[in-house]
Amino acid sequence: MAWAAVVLAGICEVIGVIAIKGVTQKKGWTAYAMLFASFAGSFALLSYAMNTLAMGTAYAVWTGIGTVGSTLTGMFLFGEPKEWRRLLFISMILGSAVGLKLIS
Amino acid sequence: MNRHWLLVVLSGAVEVLWVTGLKHSTHIWEWLLTALAIAISFYLIINASKHLPVGTVYAVFTGLGTAGTVLTEMIVFGEPFSWLKTLLILVLLAGVIGLKLITGQEAADTKKGADA
Repeated sequence: MAWAAVVLAGICEVIGVIAIKGVTQKKGWTAYAMLFASFAGSFALLSYAMNTLAMGTAYAVWTGIGTVGSTLTGMFLFGEPKEWRRLLFISMILGSAVGLKLIS
Repeated sequence: MNRHWLLVVLSGAVEVLWVTGLKHSTHIWEWLLTALAIAISFYLIINASKHLPVGTVYAVFTGLGTAGTVLTEMIVFGEPFSWLKTLLILVLLAGVIGLKLITGQEAADTKKGADA
Protein backbone atom coordinates (compact mmCIF):
# COMPACT_ATOMS: atom_id res chain seq x y z
CA MET A 1 0.00 0.00 0.00
CA ALA A 2 2.83 2.37 0.93
CA TRP A 3 4.62 1.57 -2.34
CA ALA A 4 1.45 2.22 -4.31
CA ALA A 5 1.31 5.62 -2.56
CA VAL A 6 4.91 6.42 -3.63
CA VAL A 7 4.19 5.49 -7.25
CA LEU A 8 0.98 7.55 -7.20
CA ALA A 9 2.91 10.45 -5.62
CA GLY A 10 5.43 10.25 -8.49
CA ILE A 11 2.61 10.27 -11.05
CA CYS A 12 1.07 13.32 -9.34
CA GLU A 13 4.47 15.01 -9.62
CA VAL A 14 4.55 14.42 -13.38
CA ILE A 15 0.99 15.80 -13.67
CA GLY A 16 2.29 18.80 -11.71
CA VAL A 17 5.07 19.32 -14.26
CA ILE A 18 2.48 19.17 -17.07
CA ALA A 19 0.57 21.83 -15.12
CA ILE A 20 3.72 24.01 -14.92
CA LYS A 21 3.91 23.83 -18.70
CA GLY A 22 0.20 24.66 -18.83
CA VAL A 23 0.69 27.73 -16.66
CA THR A 24 3.52 28.95 -18.93
CA GLN A 25 1.20 28.58 -21.92
CA LYS A 26 -1.34 30.84 -20.17
CA LYS A 27 -3.97 28.16 -19.64
CA GLY A 28 -5.51 30.30 -16.88
CA TRP A 29 -6.75 29.29 -13.44
CA THR A 30 -7.38 25.62 -14.36
CA ALA A 31 -3.63 25.12 -14.85
CA TYR A 32 -2.93 26.75 -11.46
CA ALA A 33 -5.61 24.57 -9.81
CA MET A 34 -4.08 21.47 -11.43
CA LEU A 35 -0.59 22.57 -10.30
CA PHE A 36 -1.70 23.08 -6.71
CA ALA A 37 -3.81 19.90 -6.50
CA SER A 38 -1.18 17.63 -8.04
CA PHE A 39 1.74 18.80 -5.89
CA ALA A 40 -0.40 18.87 -2.74
CA GLY A 41 -1.55 15.33 -3.55
CA SER A 42 2.02 14.27 -4.32
CA PHE A 43 3.40 15.55 -0.99
CA ALA A 44 0.46 14.09 0.96
CA LEU A 45 0.95 10.64 -0.61
CA LEU A 46 4.72 10.80 -0.07
CA SER A 47 4.42 11.70 3.60
CA TYR A 48 1.79 8.96 4.05
CA ALA A 49 4.21 6.45 2.47
CA MET A 50 7.04 7.62 4.75
CA ASN A 51 5.06 6.46 7.79
CA THR A 52 5.98 2.90 6.86
CA LEU A 53 8.85 3.12 4.33
CA ALA A 54 12.39 4.35 4.98
CA MET A 55 12.50 8.07 4.21
CA GLY A 56 15.54 7.97 1.89
CA THR A 57 14.16 5.07 -0.14
CA ALA A 58 10.72 6.65 -0.56
CA TYR A 59 12.30 9.98 -1.55
CA ALA A 60 14.66 8.32 -4.05
CA VAL A 61 11.86 6.47 -5.85
CA TRP A 62 9.66 9.57 -5.82
CA THR A 63 12.42 11.75 -7.33
CA GLY A 64 13.19 9.05 -9.88
CA ILE A 65 9.62 8.79 -11.15
CA GLY A 66 9.25 12.59 -11.17
CA THR A 67 12.46 13.31 -13.10
CA VAL A 68 12.18 10.46 -15.61
CA GLY A 69 8.46 11.15 -16.05
CA SER A 70 8.89 14.86 -16.63
CA THR A 71 11.78 14.32 -19.06
CA LEU A 72 9.73 11.81 -21.10
CA THR A 73 6.64 14.03 -20.91
CA GLY A 74 8.71 16.99 -22.12
CA MET A 75 10.08 14.98 -25.05
CA PHE A 76 6.92 13.24 -26.19
CA LEU A 77 4.21 15.75 -25.25
CA PHE A 78 5.98 19.09 -25.70
CA GLY A 79 8.59 18.19 -28.35
CA GLU A 80 11.64 18.95 -26.18
CA PRO A 81 15.07 17.84 -27.51
CA LYS A 82 15.74 14.07 -27.59
CA GLU A 83 19.47 14.61 -28.03
CA TRP A 84 21.69 11.98 -26.34
CA ARG A 85 23.84 14.54 -24.47
CA ARG A 86 20.71 15.99 -22.87
CA LEU A 87 19.61 12.51 -21.75
CA LEU A 88 23.12 11.76 -20.46
CA PHE A 89 23.25 14.93 -18.34
CA ILE A 90 19.74 14.40 -16.98
CA SER A 91 20.73 10.79 -16.15
CA MET A 92 23.77 12.09 -14.25
CA ILE A 93 21.55 14.40 -12.19
CA LEU A 94 18.98 11.63 -11.67
CA GLY A 95 21.54 8.98 -10.70
CA SER A 96 23.29 11.28 -8.22
CA ALA A 97 20.03 12.53 -6.68
CA VAL A 98 18.71 8.98 -6.23
CA GLY A 99 22.10 7.90 -4.79
CA LEU A 100 22.18 10.82 -2.35
CA LYS A 101 18.69 10.07 -1.13
CA LEU A 102 19.40 6.36 -0.73
CA ILE A 103 22.51 6.92 1.41
CA SER A 104 21.22 9.94 3.39
CA MET B 1 24.82 32.72 -17.16
CA ASN B 2 21.60 33.96 -18.67
CA ARG B 3 18.58 35.10 -16.67
CA HIS B 4 16.49 31.95 -17.14
CA TRP B 5 19.22 29.67 -15.80
CA LEU B 6 19.69 32.04 -12.89
CA LEU B 7 15.99 31.52 -12.07
CA VAL B 8 16.43 27.71 -12.08
CA VAL B 9 19.50 27.87 -9.82
CA LEU B 10 17.65 30.27 -7.48
CA SER B 11 14.63 27.94 -7.39
CA GLY B 12 16.94 25.10 -6.29
CA ALA B 13 18.37 27.32 -3.53
CA VAL B 14 14.87 28.29 -2.33
CA GLU B 15 13.90 24.60 -2.45
CA VAL B 16 16.69 23.90 0.06
CA LEU B 17 15.07 26.47 2.39
CA TRP B 18 11.65 24.84 2.31
CA VAL B 19 12.90 21.25 2.49
CA THR B 20 14.90 22.32 5.56
CA GLY B 21 11.78 24.12 6.80
CA LEU B 22 9.61 21.03 6.40
CA LYS B 23 12.10 19.02 8.42
CA HIS B 24 13.05 21.49 11.15
CA SER B 25 10.12 23.94 11.57
CA THR B 26 8.64 24.20 15.05
CA HIS B 27 7.00 27.63 15.29
CA ILE B 28 4.05 28.91 13.29
CA TRP B 29 6.17 31.65 11.65
CA GLU B 30 8.71 29.03 10.55
CA TRP B 31 5.89 27.10 8.88
CA LEU B 32 4.68 30.31 7.22
CA LEU B 33 8.18 31.03 5.90
CA THR B 34 8.34 27.43 4.62
CA ALA B 35 5.03 27.89 2.76
CA LEU B 36 6.28 31.19 1.33
CA ALA B 37 9.50 29.49 0.14
CA ILE B 38 7.44 26.76 -1.60
CA ALA B 39 5.43 29.44 -3.42
CA ILE B 40 8.59 31.34 -4.43
CA SER B 41 10.36 28.24 -5.76
CA PHE B 42 7.35 27.35 -7.92
CA TYR B 43 7.07 30.94 -9.15
CA LEU B 44 10.72 30.73 -10.22
CA ILE B 45 10.44 27.40 -12.05
CA ILE B 46 7.26 28.51 -13.83
CA ASN B 47 9.08 31.58 -15.14
CA ALA B 48 12.16 29.59 -16.12
CA SER B 49 9.96 27.05 -17.96
CA LYS B 50 8.65 29.80 -20.21
CA HIS B 51 12.04 29.84 -21.93
CA LEU B 52 13.75 26.53 -21.14
CA PRO B 53 12.52 22.91 -21.64
CA VAL B 54 10.33 21.99 -18.66
CA GLY B 55 11.99 18.53 -18.37
CA THR B 56 15.41 20.17 -18.05
CA VAL B 57 14.15 22.77 -15.57
CA TYR B 58 12.53 20.16 -13.36
CA ALA B 59 15.58 17.85 -13.35
CA VAL B 60 17.89 20.74 -12.40
CA PHE B 61 15.42 22.07 -9.80
CA THR B 62 15.09 18.72 -7.96
CA GLY B 63 18.79 17.88 -8.45
CA LEU B 64 20.10 21.15 -7.02
CA GLY B 65 17.53 20.94 -4.22
CA THR B 66 18.80 17.48 -3.28
CA ALA B 67 22.48 18.46 -3.46
CA GLY B 68 21.85 21.64 -1.47
CA THR B 69 19.83 19.81 1.18
CA VAL B 70 22.56 17.18 1.66
CA LEU B 71 25.21 19.94 1.92
CA THR B 72 23.06 21.89 4.39
CA GLU B 73 22.62 18.80 6.56
CA MET B 74 26.41 18.29 6.57
CA ILE B 75 27.42 21.93 7.09
CA VAL B 76 24.60 23.34 9.27
CA PHE B 77 23.03 20.36 11.03
CA GLY B 78 26.15 18.33 11.78
CA GLU B 79 25.61 15.28 9.55
CA PRO B 80 28.99 13.51 9.18
CA PHE B 81 31.09 14.44 6.12
CA SER B 82 31.05 11.77 3.43
CA TRP B 83 33.29 11.40 0.37
CA LEU B 84 30.61 9.39 -1.43
CA LYS B 85 28.04 12.16 -0.94
CA THR B 86 30.58 14.77 -2.07
CA LEU B 87 31.37 12.73 -5.20
CA LEU B 88 27.67 12.33 -6.03
CA ILE B 89 27.13 16.08 -5.61
CA LEU B 90 30.02 16.76 -8.02
CA VAL B 91 28.56 14.36 -10.63
CA LEU B 92 25.19 16.06 -10.18
CA LEU B 93 26.69 19.52 -10.66
CA ALA B 94 28.56 18.29 -13.77
CA GLY B 95 25.18 17.16 -15.14
CA VAL B 96 23.65 20.57 -14.44
CA ILE B 97 26.56 22.42 -16.07
CA GLY B 98 26.44 20.08 -19.07
CA LEU B 99 22.71 20.71 -19.50
CA LYS B 100 23.29 24.44 -19.22
CA LEU B 101 25.98 24.34 -21.93
CA ILE B 102 24.04 22.27 -24.47
CA THR B 103 20.72 24.03 -23.82
CA GLY B 104 22.24 27.36 -24.86
CA GLN B 105 23.67 25.67 -27.94
CA GLU B 106 20.34 24.05 -28.87
CA ALA B 107 18.61 27.43 -28.64
CA ALA B 108 21.32 28.99 -30.81
CA ASP B 109 21.02 26.13 -33.34
CA THR B 110 17.25 26.53 -33.45
CA LYS B 111 17.62 30.26 -33.97
CA LYS B 112 20.18 29.73 -36.72
CA GLY B 113 17.80 27.22 -38.31
CA ALA B 114 14.94 29.71 -38.10
CA ASP B 115 17.06 32.49 -39.61
CA ALA B 116 18.31 30.31 -42.49
